[in-house]
Amino acid sequence: MIKSIFMKIYVLLTILFLYTPIVVLMVMGFNESRYNSLPFQFSLQWYEDLSQNTRLIEAAEHSFYLALVTGIICVLLATLFILGVQSLSKRTEGLCRSVMMMPMSIPWLIMGLSMLLLIRFIDMDKNLLFVAAGHVVISLPYAMLVLQARLHSIDPALEEMSLSLGAPPLTTFRRITLPAIAPAMVAGGFLSFMISFDNFAISYFLMPAGISTLPIEIQSSIKFGFTPEINAISTIIIGISLLCLAIVGLIMGGSLKNVLGGNK
Amino acid sequence: MKCKKLLVGALALSMVLSMAACGSSSGEKDAKDGEKTKLYVVNWKDYGSDDADFIAAFEEEYNCEIVNTYMSSEEELLTKLRTSKEGDIDVCLPNCTILPAAINEGLLEQVDTSKLTNFDSMFERFKTQKECFKDDKMYAVPFVWGSTAIAYNTEVIKEAPKSMSALFDKAYAGKIAFRDDYNDAVMSAAIVLGQDPNNPSDLDAIKAKLIEQKALNKTYWKTGDEFSKLFAGKQIDLGLMWSGQAAAMKKDNQPISFVVPEDGAIGWVDNWAIPSGSQNKDLAYAFIDWMISKDFQYNWASKGGPAPVNQAAAEAIDPEYAASAGMDEASLNRLYFMEYRTDEVKNTWNELWTEVKAE
Amino acid sequence: MKNNKRVMTLPGMAVLFFCAIVPLFIMLAYSFQSDSGTGFTLENYSRFFTKTFYLTLTLRTIVNSLLVTVISLLLSYPLAYIMAKHLKGLKNIVMVLLIIPFFTNQLVRVYSWLIFLQDGGVFERLMNTLGLVDGTMGLLYTRAAVIIGLIHAFFPYMVITIYMALERLDNSLLEASSCLGASKTTTFFRVVLPMSMPGVITGIMIVFVPCLGTFVEPRILGGVNGTVIGTVIEDQFFEIYGWNFGAAIAFILLAMVLVSMAAINRLGRRYEG
Repeated sequence: MIKSIFMKIYVLLTILFLYTPIVVLMVMGFNESRYNSLPFQFSLQWYEDLSQNTRLIEAAEHSFYLALVTGIICVLLATLFILGVQSLSKRTEGLCRSVMMMPMSIPWLIMGLSMLLLIRFIDMDKNLLFVAAGHVVISLPYAMLVLQARLHSIDPALEEMSLSLGAPPLTTFRRITLPAIAPAMVAGGFLSFMISFDNFAISYFLMPAGISTLPIEIQSSIKFGFTPEINAISTIIIGISLLCLAIVGLIMGGSLKNVLGGNK
Repeated sequence: MKCKKLLVGALALSMVLSMAACGSSSGEKDAKDGEKTKLYVVNWKDYGSDDADFIAAFEEEYNCEIVNTYMSSEEELLTKLRTSKEGDIDVCLPNCTILPAAINEGLLEQVDTSKLTNFDSMFERFKTQKECFKDDKMYAVPFVWGSTAIAYNTEVIKEAPKSMSALFDKAYAGKIAFRDDYNDAVMSAAIVLGQDPNNPSDLDAIKAKLIEQKALNKTYWKTGDEFSKLFAGKQIDLGLMWSGQAAAMKKDNQPISFVVPEDGAIGWVDNWAIPSGSQNKDLAYAFIDWMISKDFQYNWASKGGPAPVNQAAAEAIDPEYAASAGMDEASLNRLYFMEYRTDEVKNTWNELWTEVKAE
Repeated sequence: MKNNKRVMTLPGMAVLFFCAIVPLFIMLAYSFQSDSGTGFTLENYSRFFTKTFYLTLTLRTIVNSLLVTVISLLLSYPLAYIMAKHLKGLKNIVMVLLIIPFFTNQLVRVYSWLIFLQDGGVFERLMNTLGLVDGTMGLLYTRAAVIIGLIHAFFPYMVITIYMALERLDNSLLEASSCLGASKTTTFFRVVLPMSMPGVITGIMIVFVPCLGTFVEPRILGGVNGTVIGTVIEDQFFEIYGWNFGAAIAFILLAMVLVSMAAINRLGRRYEG
């Protein structure tokens, strides 16, 4: 009993640590001072300003669509890759895996710049396709890592058994493999969505003129100082994502577990 | 099984929705913009030219649409110019650090000053701004100028610092915010040491001075945002700062004052230029002309912008405000305007600064 | 059948080839060019290795990253373990809570740390009220502040990977172990830890590697000593247009990353096998 309380306190403390800056930024969105200075004085001014700021809101929408597309493509590519790579010889498999992981080890700044060089090299215009490709490349390793950690656990014998019992490959996939990796697919998609949503470096170099994402807007306002409108929009985004998750949770009831937590 | 279907359905639905939203918004835009010319401008964010009132007035007058893209450093603008294709950019805002390179590489269009009705009302010294010229041909039009000098908290420091050496003064240890910028670092140390800031003679002495100064800092600030928040949070008493931002903070009732000390400080000029290949040159000229007009320059400067190059605008500004924002003629005459540096000089200075920071 | 499966790796590999490998080779070519732009040269690399302060900065970067990784591991493992084995229904909520903060912008998060940690800031006031610390703490603009910022930025990824590995661990295995008379500690070190090793290895990589290249947290939270390799690269590209030298440093960093990844992998395999 004491042990269980102790554990809960530990979880609570880490969550508290994780939310420290989030709480600060939320509170500062309601603070009158433009410079986030104390003492705190309640004000809704920044939310009012934000509601007029179509540019910022539009940028946030762009970020969302881009991240959604990135997340979906990443899950598809990563799942295909993870399932396929096992059938390669041990050595090629290792090589392919490390190649796929490589973008994680390169500062995004470099990835963005080198892709810009490529676009110049093949003499093409910047377009949204390149932006999406750039986002996919840097988010893919994260989706893969999660899937990989999961797939390690599937007993290959299970698949073989199913096949030898005469089940067609597709059925085997649908009945054995997919249920086993589905939670990891969702988690991987989430991760890639997050990476893309908050990415600045890639979008910055590859975005065609006139389109901007939230990180780009924030970065360019930071030279002279951003106003707490940014805090306000961050707070709203957190609120919306919590709400979405709550709705999904309600619809699915107790089986939310199947989505995030595994299939046990 | 049921919930999985739901999940797939939700995903598919959100995809369709997002696509529909993308499609509809872009479609709308195309239809609306069909008859309007687009002027592509690259500038700093919140730097006058992206002011909503101005944009509305300009777009109405010339029946066009201004598309703003922002840069976060001069080098990045140069990269943009080098890597952009014809017609990507119509107007941009380079300063002396990249102008000669851009001109030499043929990235900029020669400026025909006769197309600018407001050119004549500029201060003489800006009409002949060295970096804007190559072989007596002008490639950029000065827009605003400003200084990087000392901003201080008037509640703590009662008397304006008389010398840049205040930033190197042990009396303010722990309360100074120096700027993380190789150019400003080397130039201010050179001023304190009595060397020519644009051609320092003894870099070793400058390095030693900067290393000595390092311990006195609260931090090196990188973005204006950092400085303003530290200042408002009473973490620092003085620092190397831009005139424009100090003025803007004063407008926000911060106890801040800005001074170009007697031994001088760093000056800079931002200029408008038209990239070669621009498809809307006439519109670009109209844009630049508007930017250097008396009305625009006066309005922006008194709203907390940097100092105007338009003489009539400068004379119209309240002298007291001009002095406190370092816009007065006395301050102007004390400045060492930043000059173009070759790659070699940049490398040497930057490496020196990196070494100071690594110490 | 096997050939069919192989084809499935192609889309991913193709995207990676065209969007990462080819561009990087173009970049690599840059790192072997001098600023004057002609011919093959090693000067960018020799410049890095002959200046002691670049090595100092490299060392600083590595030490920071190691500290962040170790502390993150100590922080994440218990959390992942508790989530996987003791939280039951709550674990999904905790998982969601881990992800939510990342919907805010990285820069904004770092600036919030700045406000939280500064002298006279919330943290200091809290500590003073609780009587744990007297007066100013001077926490902001120290290495500690950078480490805190970086741990905050990366440890949730580690929790997720370790959790994924622990989650698949069959409870019956643990029961078997304890039935056979193993103590809890023995069970942990002989059964749980080795089984969760893939997740741990992945977690270490997912934290250590990005730490090496990061520049935002050190620059903003580290004060006068916040310069690391990441900020040097950033300066090269953004401040002085030193693409060639910048590319060279980037590839030196990449080499460090590859070496450390190989080392981590080997270490992990030894423990597993």
